[in-house]
Amino acid sequence: MAEKVIPDHFIPPVASEIVERDGESYLQTNESMFTFYKRTKGEFSKYFLGLRDELKIYGIRCPRCSTVRVPPFALLCPDCDFVEMEYVEMADRGVMNSTPPITYFAHSLFQSWVPFGRGRVILEGADTALPVHVYTTKGVLTPFVFDKSTPVKIVFRDERLGKPTDIFAVPLRELDADQRARTPLMESDLDFSTSEEPTIGDATETRQETYDRALAMLQELAANVEESPRAQANLAGWQRTIEVKTAAGSLSLAIDDGSLTVTEGSPDRTDFVMACDDPQLLVRWMSFKDALTNAIVTGELWISVNKEFTTVFKLDRLPRSVRRDLA
Amino acid sequence: MRRVGIVGAGITPCKSHWLERTYYGLSQMAVKTCLEDAAVSVKDVDAVIYGIYNDIFELSAIPEHPLQGIIGMTNKPGMRVTNGGATGAYAMLAAYTFIASGLYDTVLALGVERSTDCFDFESMTQTPEVIKTIGWSADTFFERELGWTASDSYAEVVLAYMDDHPEDLKPEISAKISEILCQQAKNNPFAQRRDEVVTAEMAMSSRYVVYPFKLLEMCVYSEGAGAILFASEEKAKAIAANTGQPIIWITGIGACNEHSVAGPDYTRHKYMGRIWSDHIASHKAYEMAGIKDPVNEIEIVELHDAFIKQLQITMGEMGFVPVGNTDALIEDEIMTPGGKILVNPSGGLTFGGHFVGGSNMFSCWSARREMIERELSRGLVHGTGSTVAQYGVAMTLERSG
Repeated sequence: MAEKVIPDHFIPPVASEIVERDGESYLQTNESMFTFYKRTKGEFSKYFLGLRDELKIYGIRCPRCSTVRVPPFALLCPDCDFVEMEYVEMADRGVMNSTPPITYFAHSLFQSWVPFGRGRVILEGADTALPVHVYTTKGVLTPFVFDKSTPVKIVFRDERLGKPTDIFAVPLRELDADQRARTPLMESDLDFSTSEEPTIGDATETRQETYDRALAMLQELAANVEESPRAQANLAGWQRTIEVKTAAGSLSLAIDDGSLTVTEGSPDRTDFVMACDDPQLLVRWMSFKDALTNAIVTGELWISVNKEFTTVFKLDRLPRSVRRDLA
Repeated sequence: MRRVGIVGAGITPCKSHWLERTYYGLSQMAVKTCLEDAAVSVKDVDAVIYGIYNDIFELSAIPEHPLQGIIGMTNKPGMRVTNGGATGAYAMLAAYTFIASGLYDTVLALGVERSTDCFDFESMTQTPEVIKTIGWSADTFFERELGWTASDSYAEVVLAYMDDHPEDLKPEISAKISEILCQQAKNNPFAQRRDEVVTAEMAMSSRYVVYPFKLLEMCVYSEGAGAILFASEEKAKAIAANTGQPIIWITGIGACNEHSVAGPDYTRHKYMGRIWSDHIASHKAYEMAGIKDPVNEIEIVELHDAFIKQLQITMGEMGFVPVGNTDALIEDEIMTPGGKILVNPSGGLTFGGHFVGGSNMFSCWSARREMIERELSRGLVHGTGSTVAQYGVAMTLERSG
């Protein structure tokens, strides 16, 4: 069956309920505001058909001021008394206009993408920046993969619909000579295989002591989750088994619909792995001195599956939720 | 143009979710409080400007229409303004213009917004749906489908600024500002996070939402309403004589919308590393008010702090610290307690609350309140909004008497 414009699992049932606050009852109902479209891409059709069918990127050039605008967001030049412009085919290389933002917390439509980068590329010969997704082929996407002026190449998705997501940019430095020269470069030409797990350092006496402390704190946190409605809500409807590897040993975090179980050693099966040298990172997280998200962003903590940032957010909320409920 | 003054203001408490009132009820609360403050009847009000940002939040494409009768303005002019985050500021600009032009003598600016009626039934929480709702504000052909959010849009600007000024916006400075705003919110009886304690250390260690924005260094989602009553000089003096409250005159007002598409030349496209909208809007207002040296002439700023790092850049753009060295806000004790300028005594949108259509009324309410209570002479109210901080509005204030 074809994918729906609104996935079925987003749609709530028709229902109403009474919610109590300060001794008063209030009625609330499940509602929605939806409209379906058959929406023309109008004057942008050439650009989007270029992406979808021709594997080309079109810009538009003003014959009077020579400004080249990409994407071609206007047919008439607003700076030259609306003179008609002409389409030009653009190169698939350029530089980042600025450091792109990396989104770690997204709403339902884009949650499966996190972390994702949305950047702007000034293609060779262009005067404006093209909004595109940015990716790395080398593991976790952090804010330090790209910055202003990073050379990039545009890559075409294997499956295209005539949308902005039909293309994305990767750093030129991650491509070999053949990939750099190939036009168009396709998604399937790249190797996005899972990045290699980093080598964990040696177990020192200090790290062993820290591991023991971290394990004890985690077990206390798990016990507190049972008493904390906020923490239970953080983990509601979620199931994951996570192996946390440190230089001083592994431990297992099992999330099961509102509960957290912590055990020493590696689990039998894992949904994903988190790895770090120093278990002090876990202590800092539970002591409100750092967030796991931030440790991943700065490279101190490695995760095996990018999209499990969603689980990491849930873990990040736990210490604060517990403190708010049990303080 | 005629002189215009503020003679009354009222806001509701800012809440993360108002279960007890719809936006109809919130509007009535704010208008009633505002008119009581000015000691006038709604019968004395000539026209109303509504600030409501997002149709989807209110579940209506003409959300202001039911308010006209509800707030007692039947058969009078009413006009809605919607300009993204700067909706409230633009609504006040429209109210000002209605009077300055000579068309009306008393105009009410009413800002109201819901947000957390929106609910994500997958996560069984509100936030993802609120983010999604705001996401419909993006360019629908080239950007929305890339996962545009308000946060990542402002992060783009801040990151580009950091490209140009890597030594500025140090993490400990933003965290300190968050702590200061948290403390200041305790003086605001309507602040959403009045009872919360956020230290610089907590802000520093809070998680990234969108790099470089951390959870405790950004605004909250709120529901509420705010109303400001503007009057012509003659009317304002009559009202002030009755209430005994000083008039807060609007001495300057400026607005600017940048291009939405990025390019290196700010005069033709959006230069991502600056917030020219704030710069141009504030300097237009200064020119109108005759302000030459804002840091020595303005005592209080109520600034639209969607994000703390954006607050810093905006303060630079408005001339209070150099662009490129906005850390001077803390390092040179410009906005520390007892510093040269009182910035966001309401707690700002970060700790006070951010009901989008009326947030700038909330800021205006606070600026007026502080100017009267602390007997400050000159103030500034600011609003920012739309993608990549495209819109900016600044309004300079002066207390009479």
